Amino acid sequence: MTATHCPYCALQCAQTLTPDPAAGVNVAGRDFPTNRGGLCQKGWTSASVLRAPDRLTTPLVRGVDGELVPTSWDVALDLVALRLREIRSDHGADAVAVFGGGGLTNEKAYQLGKFARIALGTANIDYNGRFCMSSAAAAANRSLGVDRGLPFPLTDLGGAQAVLLLGSNLAETMPPSVAHLSGARAAGGLIVVDPRISATARLTENGGGIHLQPVPGTDLVVLLGLLHVVFSEGLDDPAYIAERTTGVDEAQRLAATWWPARVEQVTGIPETQLRSAAMLLASASPMRGGSGAYVLTGRGVEQSSQGTATVNAAINLSLALGLVGRVGSGYGAVTGQGNGQGGREHGQKSDQLPGYRMIDDPSAREHVAAVWGVDPAVIPGKGKPAVELLDSLGREGGPRALLVHGANVRVSAPNATHVGDRLDALDLLVVCDIVPSETARSADVVLPVLQWAEEEGTMTSLEGRILRRRKAIDPPEGARSELWVWRELAARLDAPGTWDIDAARVFDELARASEGGRADYSGLSHARLDAEPDLFWPCPAVKDGSAHPGTPRLFLDGFPTPDGRARFVAVDDRGPADDVRGEAPSHLVTGRVLQHYQSGAQTRRVEELVAASPGAFVEIHPRLADRHGIAPGDRVQLTSTRGVVTATARVTDAVRPDTVFMPFHWADEANVNRVTNDATDPVSGMPEFKVCAVTVARVGSPVPQANSPFASTTEVPA
Amino acid sequence: MRLIVIGNGMVGARFVEDLLARDTAGKYEVTVIGEEACEPYNRVLLSEVVAGRYELSSLTLPSPDHPRLTVLRGTSASSIDREDRVVVTIDGSRHRYDQLVIATGAAARIPPLDGLDPTPGRLPRGVHALRSIDDAREIVAATLNSRRAVVLGAGVLGIEAASGLAQRGCTVTLVHPADALMERQLDGSASSVLASAMPDVGITPRVGVGAAAAVVADGRLTGIRLTDGEVVESDLLLVATGTIANTAIARDAGLACERGIVVDDASRTADRRIFAIGDCAQPPSGAMGLVALGWDQARRLADLLTSASLPSRDGGTGSDVVRVKAHGLDVVTMGVCGGARPDAPTQRSLTLSDPATGRHVEVVVEGDRLVGATCIGAGQVAADLVATYTRRTPVPSDPAHLLLSALSPAIVTATSPDALADDAAVCRCNSVTKADITSAHTCGSRTVEEVAQATRATTGCGGCTDEVCALIDWLNERDPAAVRA
Repeated sequence: MTATHCPYCALQCAQTLTPDPAAGVNVAGRDFPTNRGGLCQKGWTSASVLRAPDRLTTPLVRGVDGELVPTSWDVALDLVALRLREIRSDHGADAVAVFGGGGLTNEKAYQLGKFARIALGTANIDYNGRFCMSSAAAAANRSLGVDRGLPFPLTDLGGAQAVLLLGSNLAETMPPSVAHLSGARAAGGLIVVDPRISATARLTENGGGIHLQPVPGTDLVVLLGLLHVVFSEGLDDPAYIAERTTGVDEAQRLAATWWPARVEQVTGIPETQLRSAAMLLASASPMRGGSGAYVLTGRGVEQSSQGTATVNAAINLSLALGLVGRVGSGYGAVTGQGNGQGGREHGQKSDQLPGYRMIDDPSAREHVAAVWGVDPAVIPGKGKPAVELLDSLGREGGPRALLVHGANVRVSAPNATHVGDRLDALDLLVVCDIVPSETARSADVVLPVLQWAEEEGTMTSLEGRILRRRKAIDPPEGARSELWVWRELAARLDAPGTWDIDAARVFDELARASEGGRADYSGLSHARLDAEPDLFWPCPAVKDGSAHPGTPRLFLDGFPTPDGRARFVAVDDRGPADDVRGEAPSHLVTGRVLQHYQSGAQTRRVEELVAASPGAFVEIHPRLADRHGIAPGDRVQLTSTRGVVTATARVTDAVRPDTVFMPFHWADEANVNRVTNDATDPVSGMPEFKVCAVTVARVGSPVPQANSPFASTTEVPA
Repeated sequence: MRLIVIGNGMVGARFVEDLLARDTAGKYEVTVIGEEACEPYNRVLLSEVVAGRYELSSLTLPSPDHPRLTVLRGTSASSIDREDRVVVTIDGSRHRYDQLVIATGAAARIPPLDGLDPTPGRLPRGVHALRSIDDAREIVAATLNSRRAVVLGAGVLGIEAASGLAQRGCTVTLVHPADALMERQLDGSASSVLASAMPDVGITPRVGVGAAAAVVADGRLTGIRLTDGEVVESDLLLVATGTIANTAIARDAGLACERGIVVDDASRTADRRIFAIGDCAQPPSGAMGLVALGWDQARRLADLLTSASLPSRDGGTGSDVVRVKAHGLDVVTMGVCGGARPDAPTQRSLTLSDPATGRHVEVVVEGDRLVGATCIGAGQVAADLVATYTRRTPVPSDPAHLLLSALSPAIVTATSPDALADDAAVCRCNSVTKADITSAHTCGSRTVEEVAQATRATTGCGGCTDEVCALIDWLNERDPAAVRA
């Protein structure tokens, strides 16, 4: 029996894996503060992916006939190294780019950043976390001085009287977390802001709280309206504001321009609802003697061209109410991907080095260079953030080669058809994956790697807790750890530095590299984490050799800003980049379903999950359906200026009549990211997945169901 | 380029902010001449101050701060010399401009009423307009002693002010000479639904009756004589009979002025160096006195001056939405509304009138677009209509659907186990249906633990545990023989 954590989302539910000759491993929930022994259907069925019929177990290289053919590791690695050398000598080091993932362990995220900087010598590394956490990260950094998704343990939510959830559908995305909202629901204090009546919004029914259902793309205005009400009705906490913050004046003046009637005009939220929501939050705040209030944001509000501003508005609200840095209250971002937190701390980002250090900070470069055993001058500068990086592939002066680790960009990137074209323009695409994802299938070289139950490492969960991932079974013959792949490639490229393949040793190096940084892991090791499963960063090494207890709650004594205070950042609304208009009159919002994860590369290969959620669909309001003559089950086409997507209609009043919803787990013609917008936030570089303008049309009657949807969806086209 | 802005109110200050934000090339040096000594504040919320809902301090607006900006407060412009391109201030100093933006706003109109001397500063004690922060302060002070108030004029501001005074505890009579309350926005039937809601919030409406005279004793107001001869005893009169655009400085400079300074769609006067925005301006579409229009003009002018191209008209729609901010009175109008609208054969008008519950909704549709609406007591429907109107999203094929909320989530009633459909999801986290649990029961699972073991129901968030228990109890009851000892 092996104690580990689920391979999917950032909740990282604790699991016990028991080897089973038939199934590979048996999965059971394990008691842990975050999941209390619970697992969702994805977690329960996670072992199926280990035995996916098309699991990659041998390197593949595209032959002269254009087909991917099995080959040996030596041949594949020699080829990759040779082509990388050629491209580097012809076009310069930045012509090789790297795209990482928020599902990689801390050890791999660290090693990948190091591999890019000193083995490839490229500035061009970024990762899919740019698609999920970058706005929350940018906003928290500029306001609170550090970005840790939840700067408090998840279990703290249980004591809160009110929780404001913006753009998070956690009942669908991380179901066991819902248990932590029961206190707020019992107090009638759960406030969910979502343009849809999502599973999470339904938690407010029957006295659980309030659901605000704004027009898509207007979350920032909702927040400015709440802040307006807080200030104008004297619900703020002046003593806290005076002692612990700066910049309130400008933020308050800006909020003065968003009186509730004006907010209603933009958001469609009636004034009475806005005021009730503000009052619920305020009466739960410590200043008013409440048992605590939290403001939490998710991708729904962050994946926006004004995502950073929106998160800053959420933080401003939290600061005005005196919530941040007090036990039992606070602001947090609900991280999405399994290692979405750790993945953004250890050097996969185009502008960062391990320990959440900035790559243009000379002292950070010096520290990390010393750990890596290189001259600081060798470390490249800032690279391009994800959307810009993908857009530059194969262009004049852009990268000619791309290495992909833990991402399926052909499905998951916004404006996906365009991204596919850019991938096709490359001279060399190398993909490390566990199954033939859509991106892997188009690669020149595919390298088979390990899954969660087959490897050691650490993951940092949504609450900043460092968790041990443990090996339960041997990997299939032929699959290799990415740590091994990078060592092999580093050797073939004559790279400086050491390239451990033992995760514990890589962690020790990561810990040294993070020492003194914002995300300081230097007091941690695999051995310590094995003994103590409740350590939160920062957890620095202590000079006298004693063990730092870790930091479950940040900001209790101050903020890691130059003056120790949190900053109000005055932000205003600019509206969505691609707003509805005559020729595209409906909003499209995207999201997830419980049974699937991200691009679906894993979950679309699990029979039980496919049976419960077989394919893409469009949620459409009865009024809009009626306008277009759409009946339930009809094929519906959504068209934006970027592309077209086709899926089955679900007629439901869970969406606004001016809005359609589509989940993003499917590929090809059912891939909604063909339609989504790649406009980015000016601060974070995060794309505006969550709102764009589309036309809706009926294209046909229901398609008869195939006998086994499972068989058809896992079929790998030749 | 020297740009002078006369006026530091909501629109003038917003324009300066917008312009400096867009002027990335650093083309402009801006000087603002503001009459009021204080920083710009949110005039829209003055009635909320009267209502006691807002502190004056929470009205302060962003005050543009920029190295290329000079703000002169407490100074008014006395004249414009268009030939020398100079603005002269009352202290005699001269400010040269290359471009000039006039944003002098409007002043309260004091009606010609016996007993009222409209000269500024000559109003009897107890008589107030509500236009400035000083007015609001004085009214709030006056309510400490006054119990009976009359509000003259039932436009948006008059109704808001009446509501505010009522919330301060005054008995309020709202006198309105026209045939309908808010006659620019409401027709007779909408007005009467609104009027019938007023007594509940402490306002007595007198529609179709004007004020004839202010009854003044010892320089202090004691009552209002109405045109029907009745005298309403009152120690506070709030005059809300419209505004007069502050055009004097423009008129003296020879610029065309009618009700306001005459400008084109892009806020340009006939002098190519001079522009006018906000309540002092009279654009071709007419002035509405709504700040959203003024801000729209400010943004468009900032675009024009910094990009030199005329911005498209798009995006400017919806700034004529009117919402009355009055406790207990829910009034929203937009676009085509009111009794005086011209006959338009291409438009369809649909009405839901429910006076007994204080509800009245009218929508006006042209093609597949909502072009106007009038909502009294409509709640969420009004908010939805505003969203539809401002974004010009298509209306339902039967526009009658617009009259009711599209967004009323079905109330989920706890369904008894026998009424639950077989394919109904009981445990969402693990996609477990009633049928799955029934079959687990048939196979011998008799407790929540056993059902969880067999189906994984309850093993996600645990939210369905009660429902699963009830289902098992019901299954056990139905098949008592199967319950083992």
